[in-house]
Amino acid sequence: MDNGTRPAGQLDIATALSPYSGPWDVRMASHLMRRAGFGGTPQQVQQLSHMPMHEAVESLIHFPSTAGLPDPDNVFDPYQQGLIGAGMAGVSRVAQGIGLFGPGVGGARPIGMIDPQARQERAKELRQDARQSIISLQAWWLTRMVASPAPLQEKMTLLWHGHFTSAAIQKQAWPSDMYRQNQLFRQYALGNVRDLTQAVSKDVAMLKYLDGERNVKAHPNENYARELMELFTLGIGNYSEQDIRESARAFSGWTVDRRTGEFVDNQSQHDDGSKTFLGRTGNFTGTDIVNIIFQQPAASKFFAKFLLNNFVYNDPEPELVDAVAANIVRNDFNLAPVVSKLLQSNVFYSERSYRALVKSPVEFVVGTHQLFGLKDLAPNAQRALVQMGQILFYPPNVAGWPGGSTWITSQTLIARENFLAALMNMPMMQQTWLGEVPMNARAATAQMVSAILQSDISPASQARLQDYLNGAGTSALGMLSAENYEERVRGAAYLAMAMPAYQLS
Amino acid sequence: MKRGQFLLGSLSGITVVANLDHVFAQALAYSTVPGLPGGDDRVLVLVNMQGGNDGLNCVVPHGDDAYYRLRPSLAIARNDVLSIDNQVGLNPQMKSFKAMYDKGMVAIVQGVGYPDPDHSHFRSTEIWQTAAPEKYLSTGWLGRYLDDANLPSENLFNGVAISQVLPEVMIARKTDVPAIAQLNGYGLLSDRNKSASTTYTELVTDKSLPFSSPYLSHVAEIEDHAQRGSEELPKLVAGYKTDASYPATPLGRSLALAAQIVGSKLGTRVLYVQHGSFDTHVNQRGTQDRLLSEFSDAMKAFYDDLAAHGNDKRTLTMTFSEFGRRAAQNASGGTDHGEAAPLFLIGGNVKGGMYGTHPDLNRLNDGNPGFTTDFRNVYATVLERWLGRPSTPILDGSFPQIAALA
Repeated sequence: MDNGTRPAGQLDIATALSPYSGPWDVRMASHLMRRAGFGGTPQQVQQLSHMPMHEAVESLIHFPSTAGLPDPDNVFDPYQQGLIGAGMAGVSRVAQGIGLFGPGVGGARPIGMIDPQARQERAKELRQDARQSIISLQAWWLTRMVASPAPLQEKMTLLWHGHFTSAAIQKQAWPSDMYRQNQLFRQYALGNVRDLTQAVSKDVAMLKYLDGERNVKAHPNENYARELMELFTLGIGNYSEQDIRESARAFSGWTVDRRTGEFVDNQSQHDDGSKTFLGRTGNFTGTDIVNIIFQQPAASKFFAKFLLNNFVYNDPEPELVDAVAANIVRNDFNLAPVVSKLLQSNVFYSERSYRALVKSPVEFVVGTHQLFGLKDLAPNAQRALVQMGQILFYPPNVAGWPGGSTWITSQTLIARENFLAALMNMPMMQQTWLGEVPMNARAATAQMVSAILQSDISPASQARLQDYLNGAGTSALGMLSAENYEERVRGAAYLAMAMPAYQLS
Repeated sequence: MKRGQFLLGSLSGITVVANLDHVFAQALAYSTVPGLPGGDDRVLVLVNMQGGNDGLNCVVPHGDDAYYRLRPSLAIARNDVLSIDNQVGLNPQMKSFKAMYDKGMVAIVQGVGYPDPDHSHFRSTEIWQTAAPEKYLSTGWLGRYLDDANLPSENLFNGVAISQVLPEVMIARKTDVPAIAQLNGYGLLSDRNKSASTTYTELVTDKSLPFSSPYLSHVAEIEDHAQRGSEELPKLVAGYKTDASYPATPLGRSLALAAQIVGSKLGTRVLYVQHGSFDTHVNQRGTQDRLLSEFSDAMKAFYDDLAAHGNDKRTLTMTFSEFGRRAAQNASGGTDHGEAAPLFLIGGNVKGGMYGTHPDLNRLNDGNPGFTTDFRNVYATVLERWLGRPSTPILDGSFPQIAALA
């Protein structure tokens, strides 16, 4: 969101993007880890703080191998499972009968299962399977975000998911389609964003979500063309309604093969006539359209804003946007060097940028796992994310999650804090570093506010936490016992995380 | 004053509790003020038909041959339409709503839109919610109403959004509107313990932090509201009992909570709920029919519930959608983003019937029915005749009112 969220104070544009040479400590390393990842474990932050700043950034930009991370189990794929497509039989009829797989799915040879009731039952099961599969896929991805040695790769994957949005199931985007799109975002994480946009334009989940698969010569469907320019690459005001109509024609014929579920360029449905798009005329294809879009000055500015809004602060000054946009153009839309420069810059480490962003629910939940070194997803994490307003693979609409202050409502804050309260009530927390803090309230409080809040707390509040830990006139949280020091430690950790600073990145 | 003095001095648990009693006593007192012009007990419920509700298959122009020509397979057969007159009628799934219309509880305003319509969901939603087609505003029209209406600022529930995310229409400069998706889950686990709760309050409201952030005061304010509000809201509405049978749908649940809030007299003046998604590019019939059926049944339950508690006359409901859809169907059995569409005013002081002019389907504006009533005329009417506020400052202009409200 753009309004009123720019930090106070003045931008020094002359030095904004120059390399930062100020103090480099745990607080700054933690800032870097929150932005270029999800916060990291206290050990990871320590490690980064012991490296020179530029090496710390480079270690995040050059992704280490993630080969050791597991693939998801059994992603629901109706094509693989023979429920749909060329070799399908039997249950395919079921799916069609209730419109589960859309109209006119090719190659159906209905056999068996004539009983309509049995058919309905099976269709319900299939839908249930698809939903279950998405829930498993969410758990897999969240676990990967927590554990990946390449946090910035996962961060970019998440940002692209909120940017080039598609949602599961509602338009027959199957879990397998969503997984492939997710892998695409991971593959292009800090790669060339023009190439990513080309790939997204042919991505099956996207073709389904924004109706590209229905875009045929005789009846161009404008949905993808519009959102491509409005939300994905240029922003409103940089194209006309006519440009939308013409580019929709150029994308016609890019569809999903109903027998295989794969992308296909169906020439017979492509309008190969002349189009006039953003002032140029030719027999353009979808590829040409994307290339022309990326020749517009608005495109580099658009992605400059995207990077600044997600990594530095919201509502960046136009001169800062221009400077980053110039860098994007110099690097021909390869983002790794652009992001590297940004994460090493004065403006990134300035007090104006510090805690100037609101953590998204996923950042909040994944970051909390990392803070305590939890490897397995907490049992309440996924349910809590629903209540916090961020459900992976189900963005609210094509604009993605609006973010910023919209993350913070009474309802979502209560969900955040109840997630923490429930987590701190779990005995497994005793196995984390919380179980090893000194039996001395002063030292324990100092350790906790350093790890949890990077000491972004007033002396008065720190004293209050220490009183709490001492059991002076207080008792512990919820079902934790006030008599038990270890449990008071977990109550104090909850209270530290309930502070507004912990909601901010 | 030294740091911390303020904290320990005025924010001890006892003071906070005392303040709370005061706040809610105030809220209760205000709610009992009898109806002045646009009286203080009047409530507006705004229903967002999110995604672009197709107007032509909702309020069906069954007397217009052009409609059947434009929609060879998507048009609703004449015999199926719930006929209002020989020109228009309602979607066949809206039987309960039609019964409300027949009782004079519903005003239908035709052809509502705005000049130079935008076809983007997000911009057009923003335009309807900020009431600013020509510029970008950061407050919503109901947010500006809340700031302007001299409501008791201590009351946390002057406006309530029944949603996960605060909608733009409720964004105000001075008034914080809680977004409450459901009562169940609206409460802090930590509040089970009073002394932890006191420490919590002190920590989350600490203003003297060693960093600044453009979001800090917002987060701190909402934390404070969340704690106070969630502690009190369930208690304040607990006494409300209903026999109304709401459909087990998200809209049904939202309206049940809305009726509970209205009936518990918290001083709430504006409520927001949403329904959708109506973005029917593909196979429109099934989706829209289901959504309209849900709307119709939920609205009936809502007004039955309100009426059983004597609240129907003090509760006006208004629907809106970011746009209607194109007049012609597309190749996918759906419709693409359009422009003007009808909206509904329900209950309160409505004078039931049809208002505005149905757009001429033979004179389409680039494939779209043109608008015949500016949505700001409807907003001005609601602000002046229902909420009792001058509309010009809120809408940044003077807009003629329509006759649909008494």
